[in-house]
Amino acid sequence: MSVNTVTAGMRAVGRETPRFRITPRFRGRELTLLVIVAIALVAGSVSLGATRLFEAAQLAETAPPTDILVLASPGLVLVYIAALFAVHGALVLAGRRTDQILLPTMGLLGGIGLLFMIRLPQDLAGRLGGLAQTQLLWLVIGLTIVAVMGVVVRNDVWLRRYKYTWAAAGVGLLLATFVFGHDINGARLSLTIGPFSGQPSELLKVILVVFLAGYLSENRPLLVDESTNLGPIRLPPLPYLAPMVVMWAIALAIVIVQRDLGAALLFFAVFLLLLYVSTARFSFVVIGLVAFVLGAGLLYFVFDHVRVRVDIWVDPFADPTGAGFQVVQALHAFARGGLIGTGLGAGLPNIAGRPPIPALHTDFPFAGLGEELGLVGILAVLGLYLVLVERGLRIASAAQDEFRAILAAGLSLVIGVQAFIIAAGNLKLIPLTGITLPFVSYGGSSLLANSLIVGLLIALSERTREPLPPPRRPGRLRRLFDRGAA
Amino acid sequence: MAGHERAGGSRPPSRFSPGARPAAHARPVSGMSPSWAGRRIGIGAALGRVSLVLALAFGSLALGAGYWQVIESANLSNSGDDAAVIAAARNVLRGEIVDRDGVRLAWNKRDKNDEPYRVYASDSLAGVIGYSTRQFGASGLENAWNAQLSGVVSADPLRELTRKFRADPSDPESVRTTLVLQLQEAAAVALGRNRGSVVMLDPRTGEILAMVSTPTYDVNAVANPDTSAATFKKLQKDKRSPLLPRATQGLYVPGSAFKIVTSMAALGSGAITPSTTYADQPAAERKGWLIDGFRVRDGHHPQTGSKALDYREAVEASCNIYFAETGVRTGSEALTQYADRLGFDAALPFDLPTAVSQITNGGGQLPGGFKDRVELANAAYGQAEVLVTPLQMALVAATIANDGTLMRPHLVLETTGKGGTTNVGRSAIGQVVSPGIAQEIAAAMRLAVNGDIGRIFTSGAALRSMVVAGKSGTAELDPGTSPHSWFIGFAPYDNPQVAIAVLVERSGGGDVKASPIAGELLRAWRTWAAH
Repeated sequence: MSVNTVTAGMRAVGRETPRFRITPRFRGRELTLLVIVAIALVAGSVSLGATRLFEAAQLAETAPPTDILVLASPGLVLVYIAALFAVHGALVLAGRRTDQILLPTMGLLGGIGLLFMIRLPQDLAGRLGGLAQTQLLWLVIGLTIVAVMGVVVRNDVWLRRYKYTWAAAGVGLLLATFVFGHDINGARLSLTIGPFSGQPSELLKVILVVFLAGYLSENRPLLVDESTNLGPIRLPPLPYLAPMVVMWAIALAIVIVQRDLGAALLFFAVFLLLLYVSTARFSFVVIGLVAFVLGAGLLYFVFDHVRVRVDIWVDPFADPTGAGFQVVQALHAFARGGLIGTGLGAGLPNIAGRPPIPALHTDFPFAGLGEELGLVGILAVLGLYLVLVERGLRIASAAQDEFRAILAAGLSLVIGVQAFIIAAGNLKLIPLTGITLPFVSYGGSSLLANSLIVGLLIALSERTREPLPPPRRPGRLRRLFDRGAA
Repeated sequence: MAGHERAGGSRPPSRFSPGARPAAHARPVSGMSPSWAGRRIGIGAALGRVSLVLALAFGSLALGAGYWQVIESANLSNSGDDAAVIAAARNVLRGEIVDRDGVRLAWNKRDKNDEPYRVYASDSLAGVIGYSTRQFGASGLENAWNAQLSGVVSADPLRELTRKFRADPSDPESVRTTLVLQLQEAAAVALGRNRGSVVMLDPRTGEILAMVSTPTYDVNAVANPDTSAATFKKLQKDKRSPLLPRATQGLYVPGSAFKIVTSMAALGSGAITPSTTYADQPAAERKGWLIDGFRVRDGHHPQTGSKALDYREAVEASCNIYFAETGVRTGSEALTQYADRLGFDAALPFDLPTAVSQITNGGGQLPGGFKDRVELANAAYGQAEVLVTPLQMALVAATIANDGTLMRPHLVLETTGKGGTTNVGRSAIGQVVSPGIAQEIAAAMRLAVNGDIGRIFTSGAALRSMVVAGKSGTAELDPGTSPHSWFIGFAPYDNPQVAIAVLVERSGGGDVKASPIAGELLRAWRTWAAH
């Protein structure tokens, strides 16, 4: 069967417009990387399966098993791998020249998260459905979002034109959480609407970036050029500092009302980074950092929960079984892991049938991976986040205009900064704030929001020049075949 | 910059990529204001710096991870707070505890997580064996001998545990106690619903045969992880203080039972002889004995009439006037000295922590800390500020029974682990009084139980099957409240093999409660000893 008939078939099915002709485009790099990801996940599943077999044999006091090539929860892992390839297939059929690294990177992170959820006690989240099954469901929905964004989203008018609408939606979401939200571990994080409940701050971070991209790209010339002279000191234009003050206030409000230190830190850090990206004015960063220090100091002295977090951070070993328990146990987990880790499923000793860290699946998966995959493993995980950010910044620098550039930079920085905040909290580099490790932590809101980010980045990465490619231009696959024929 | 463009390959030139910037700088694009186009710094450069910052941040994560996973790895994973060490310790099967005849007192079961928890043979053991729980730690013997029972004794085994926490590298030892389960249960039954305590020991060796504190509590419910928290909460709220091990931690006014201590000081120091009498004593029975403006009153024994009592008769009739006068004659210095030899004023050398028995609050003018001679006179017959533990009073009786030599009380006969069996030997604390004086006091105590007058006070303790010697006590407390009931004694008189102290809180005179309980338990001891 020739490629032509396939293409023709696609044309018949796909929606045709005079400008876009959908031609499948071979995504070789993505395919290769996905195959590697699939192999890695199957290997992880086999490793976990073998650990479980030996454990069971030890408990039953029987001889160690000889046939150890057994996958742990093969169904879940295979469904996930199939979903990854399905997204790949959709992107191939869409025929766009979009990024090929993002999907496999996200896929590996999500897969590691899935294996980790398979490894944990299934009732850890306290729900009826098992931890791993629920996580797989959200992963598949997240991958669907990536596919839809990667295939469908071809222009950004809906994002850039309605930035104030998005901002209003974000503020509304925030207010709704203030008013209707309910508390998780003393933080007002969760909002329930009808049968759906989720953490609005995850969606909020995407909306924030969209708004900032719109605002900053529009006001960039003014922010860059104008300045206020205060005697010999040149300051940025004071009127345009207003959004900074508003952001600072919103971050403070999130901390005070929602008690969500992690989200506040993330929002403020991404805001400052984007402000710098769009203006390249270091003075903004300095002013922002001063404001941050003042705000943090204020919060420390006024609010107990902030002070407790900081005190635990300063010396968690002062109360290793009480306030500092989780942080201390996380450090112990890293220590037990050592250089190469205990292996999936072989670490995290149960106490009374529970893992030593209660929030292992949400706030401490990094510590759990540190124990079971070792220093080598978490360096690889950190590397994956750097790859994501690097791809995002690359897309930003190649973007067609300021809005898309700032948007892409903001989206990728959200993931990078969020991963840093929680990993650094786990490692006691900064005070611990409850925030998810993107793609790895358990939880639907986080997975959906981060999938949305990757989907948007893939959509933004389309390497086309106006006007879009001529309809007859052969796909890469076709050219390959042609060359082969010649 | 041109190089960057080439490296970009087929990528269309971006207006904001670094590559595009110099062009914009060199000649402003029409439509842009020259002022900002000229000063413009492209997004590309800022992106580069931001990515550098992020790379540094992730580098610091790598360093942090390296610090905890390589440099601090050994330190942390070998510490007692490590989850693996805790899990291993929880998975250790504690050694069993058996009574002196090998009857199991404490052993292990496994919960739904396959983790072991403790099971106990009887609630009567609550006050001595205590409990071992995950949540609330351990008490009693379980706590005192935790190192041997859990087999985790030093830093080195912890390291072992860390390395292979699923295996069983520890060496828990089983403990054979000196206790007799059937005596424990008999004592708990005899005390019944009363609050009180019984201590029985072998005076020749110091081996504790029974040590009971009531009310007892459901020690299995405390140890079972499913019921532990609720039970513990309830017990802590209970106004009858069931968690207080009264035998070792309860402090009580001893009343007349303390006269045996005064006897040892008086006879031992030579202040009196067995034939000492006080001429003013019979008259004082009616109107009280006046000392420094205070009247010591008596009135318990009209049977003795106007006869001036000698030592034995005074013990038999439990004459307060005689002992008040004897106390003053003996002096606070000798009384303190002899009490200290018996173990007062310090924690007892015992397996379990003990409260400190005292003869005075201290701080007074007289040697030993008595306020004045009035306090000394009242203390001599067991009132004033004298406070004792039931264990201390059992040791007083045991010292008389053992010819004046006090043996160190102990709860453990031997421990058995992988390395074999270790015996816990007996040892003497010291000679309190000479054998002659001990025998004189023993003879008086025999009369106190079996004499014509003594029987009025201590009748319940006398047995047909063997001769019991002892002394009852009625500890007067606040006026209008019921006194503590005491009995201390030993048996058989000719060849003492068991000493006993019985305390029943706020239950009336020594004859009412404590003496019959002592008689019942000595009979139970005889039944056990006959086997």
